Amino acid sequence: MPTPRQISVTVNGTVYESTVEPRLTLADFLRHELALPGTHVGCEHGVCGACTVLWNGRAVRSCIMLAVQTDGTEITTVEGLSKDGELNAIQQAFVEEHGLQCGFCTPGFLMTITEMLDRNPDPSDEEIYDYLGGQICRCTGYQSILAAVRNAIEKKKAAS
Amino acid sequence: MTSRIPNKIADLPNSSPRFIGQEVERVEDRQLVSGKTEFIDNVSLPGMLHCAILRSPNAHAKITSIDTSAAEKMPGVIAIITGEDAKRWTQPMQTVPEGWGTLCLATDRVRFVGEPVVAVAATSRYIAEDALDEIIVDYDPLPPVADTQKAADAPPIYDEHESNVVFQRKFTWGEVDAAFTDADKVLTDKFRWHRLGANPLECNGVITEWDIIDGTVTTRGSFQSQVNMGLLSAGALGVPSNRMRVISQPHGGSFGGKGGPRGTIITALLSRKAGGRPVKWIEDRMEYLAGGAGQSWDRFYDVSLALKTDGTITGLRVVLLDDLGASAEGFGAVSAAKPLAAFTGPYAIPVAEYDLTLVATNKLPQSPYRGMGPPPHNWALEQMVDLAAVELGLDPAEIRRKNYIPKNAFPYTIASGNEYDSGDYEAALDAIVEMADYKALRREQEEAREQGRHLGIGLVNTIEPGVFDWNAYAIVGSQQTGVPEGATVGIDIMGKIVAKVGFSLEGQGQYTVISQVLADYFKVEMSDVRVVPQDSLSAPPHFGPGGSRLGVAITGAVLGAADRLREKLIRVGANLLQSPPEALELSDGMIRIPGVAEAQIPVAQVAATMLARSDLLPEGMDPNPEATYVWTAAGRTPADDQGRAKSYLTAANACHLVLVEVDTATGMVEILKYFIVDDCGTRLNPATCEGMTQGGVAQGVGAALLEEYVYDDDAQLLTSTFIDYLIPTIYEVPMTTKKALVTPSPYTPLGAKGMGEGAIHTTPAAVMCAINDALRPLGVKAHEVPASPRRLWTLLHDQSVG
Ligand code: FES
Ligand code: FES
Repeated sequence: MPTPRQISVTVNGTVYESTVEPRLTLADFLRHELALPGTHVGCEHGVCGACTVLWNGRAVRSCIMLAVQTDGTEITTVEGLSKDGELNAIQQAFVEEHGLQCGFCTPGFLMTITEMLDRNPDPSDEEIYDYLGGQICRCTGYQSILAAVRNAIEKKKAAS
Repeated sequence: MTSRIPNKIADLPNSSPRFIGQEVERVEDRQLVSGKTEFIDNVSLPGMLHCAILRSPNAHAKITSIDTSAAEKMPGVIAIITGEDAKRWTQPMQTVPEGWGTLCLATDRVRFVGEPVVAVAATSRYIAEDALDEIIVDYDPLPPVADTQKAADAPPIYDEHESNVVFQRKFTWGEVDAAFTDADKVLTDKFRWHRLGANPLECNGVITEWDIIDGTVTTRGSFQSQVNMGLLSAGALGVPSNRMRVISQPHGGSFGGKGGPRGTIITALLSRKAGGRPVKWIEDRMEYLAGGAGQSWDRFYDVSLALKTDGTITGLRVVLLDDLGASAEGFGAVSAAKPLAAFTGPYAIPVAEYDLTLVATNKLPQSPYRGMGPPPHNWALEQMVDLAAVELGLDPAEIRRKNYIPKNAFPYTIASGNEYDSGDYEAALDAIVEMADYKALRREQEEAREQGRHLGIGLVNTIEPGVFDWNAYAIVGSQQTGVPEGATVGIDIMGKIVAKVGFSLEGQGQYTVISQVLADYFKVEMSDVRVVPQDSLSAPPHFGPGGSRLGVAITGAVLGAADRLREKLIRVGANLLQSPPEALELSDGMIRIPGVAEAQIPVAQVAATMLARSDLLPEGMDPNPEATYVWTAAGRTPADDQGRAKSYLTAANACHLVLVEVDTATGMVEILKYFIVDDCGTRLNPATCEGMTQGGVAQGVGAALLEEYVYDDDAQLLTSTFIDYLIPTIYEVPMTTKKALVTPSPYTPLGAKGMGEGAIHTTPAAVMCAINDALRPLGVKAHEVPASPRRLWTLLHDQSVG
């Protein structure tokens, strides 16, 4: 077995120094080593998007990345979205629009939408579909998720 | 003691209800959007081990040897089990019908690709999976039974059975032969529905501990029904039912696909072997697709309609061949029996016949999926109704209207024996025709045709049997009538309300419904109500979600418990107000004497009196401000010899109209417009109802266009990842225009009807009707779902096929 490596990674603003096996996936590292289980695993082969986190601001699939790849970088997970128990605009929009049922896909959607709105606060429908098209939700049929995205856009506009 | 459970929101003890029937935010959601909900893989117990399962690569083979010696020596590997352990310590899993099950691990023969053969418990999942690589299993391949239509005559896959026919019977309801002899026209066609399945976004997962000293097994996991999991596992493990403790964690959807006890049995055995340490197994997606509870409905239909020239349907015959796969463990024959609850759909077809054959093959055993049996049945029936319209020169809307059960005929008993409670199908049709501007759509279709584009319209109205009852399954061996659902409702010394129930979060928002109901009942805020799940041994009798029942059943349970609590509060209030209890009422959160303004005490104060001032209580009074009620549907009847029973309590109605375009160059289908008129009686939380409907549309679109488990001729699975098994994304799912009709149930708590499955009952049929409407001028017809681009292209361009 290859020797474990030392990594230093900033997750939700906290610096973690860890020793990890090179084969440890980023999802397992976050969930089981750092006790941040909000990042969910739905397929473990890069299709469903449930495991999406932000890696230096970019939405990536943590099930097909290795923890060692994140050495010296910054990660944001769903646990990093709310502050002191206050939901952020996107989370709040999901609650208001019933953008979830079982909620298992939700963290992945939230992170993807975070990246989208960070890049473009006023995306076109085409861009929204482009971003959401890589996220699977088995429960909602997406209509309420789309409504949540539009609600979040409005909220952010109103706040800025 | 009977309980007063209101049939209308207006009958709640609240002059201005604020929550029930409103689009309130869900109490579940703040946790979920924060990633804080405790799904099973978030749980870690001290000393916990991790399980990995070695599965059969063969569809059918004898196991000649298993060598686990190298794996046993690996550091971190704590326990390994094989079929020998399963044989020593467990019984075969329960099946419907009985006798078609296996042990949790294969013993001498494997019968499907993905069947568990060896299981390992190690200190990490990574090590457990490493250990699988070191295990050597030798197989002697046998010819697989892969062809459903030849399975009955193929060599039996079980030595103890004479053939692969698991169940065969013909049910006749009325003078069917006469109806067909007397018909002006008889139409017959054949259909093929390929395997698909639930695929909740979270797969299965369990953590099980076997306390070998006191003999208790505790299993927690993503279980849809605690009580069911408990009984199935206790039976297989030989553990007394009161020592089988089941804890359902919040889970990431189920749709029927989280029922099987295999994971619990395997982890229980590993725990036993590991001295009682907890063992966790988290199923991955490839395991789920190949070997999980995710495959359903592998069906061949042969359907006939007897008709009068004016379009009246006078008889229906359905011949079904369903491929159950390698055992009948996932409720087996139950799914094929469910259509009895709505066999003739919304139509007043007086006589019908159902000729069922269920066979075993070397594919994954079927499991339940949302809707259970009717989605394929409705699809086949509705294709026939459209065929009848074409043959008789009638509009699809008009032939349906002609055959609907009229609104003044309810309660109405259908040919297959179930009773529909209420409905107004013509109103739904009128509403959708108007909302969609059906005439304009037909014009649009005409114009498109002139331009060489192929548009089609599908219009389908189905019945969703809601609030399932076991008596519906008498024909496949169920002895039960009634499905209890209990709740305990209490008020604490600070006036806060706690509701204890026997199920966890799954996605349908039931905790919200409970909070809405109780907040309005006692006139408090929803945030004053807390729903607390109990394990299988401490909850009142329960079943949980399934068969579109829980919204209705849990509303009945909490209202029944609240009513019993009201009686207690009134007895105490009577003492405090020095009046006879008969003079008092609960109203707007007060125990009071009607009309006497000063004679009222807040409920919270009465409850606190019960707990803190025994001196003020009536003599012999039970001082616990808490009550339990177990709700079950009234008026259910045992089935007769043809399976006819009053089974499902409610009949919701979903009317869908869809416009599609078929690209003849590629075989691709695009859904252009989608309209829904939905009647599920009183809508307890309209936003939740809409979400259930839209989610069902998505799964229905998956069924009609995308989802399929493909096995090759050797029964090897070719669709073992989400790259091959296609789940609908936002690109494929239409954003629908919805309207609600409300025909309350006369029988249920607050008039609500079961409503979780209406859309999946309807969407596949509606989309396929639309596709065939588009294809009709081209002289071809799609008889298979999913209508994938390859299938449609082949139909259109290779006339030798299809
Ligand atoms: S779990 Fe990573 S994409 Fe599905
Ligand atoms: S809410 Fe269940 S998968 Fe999206």
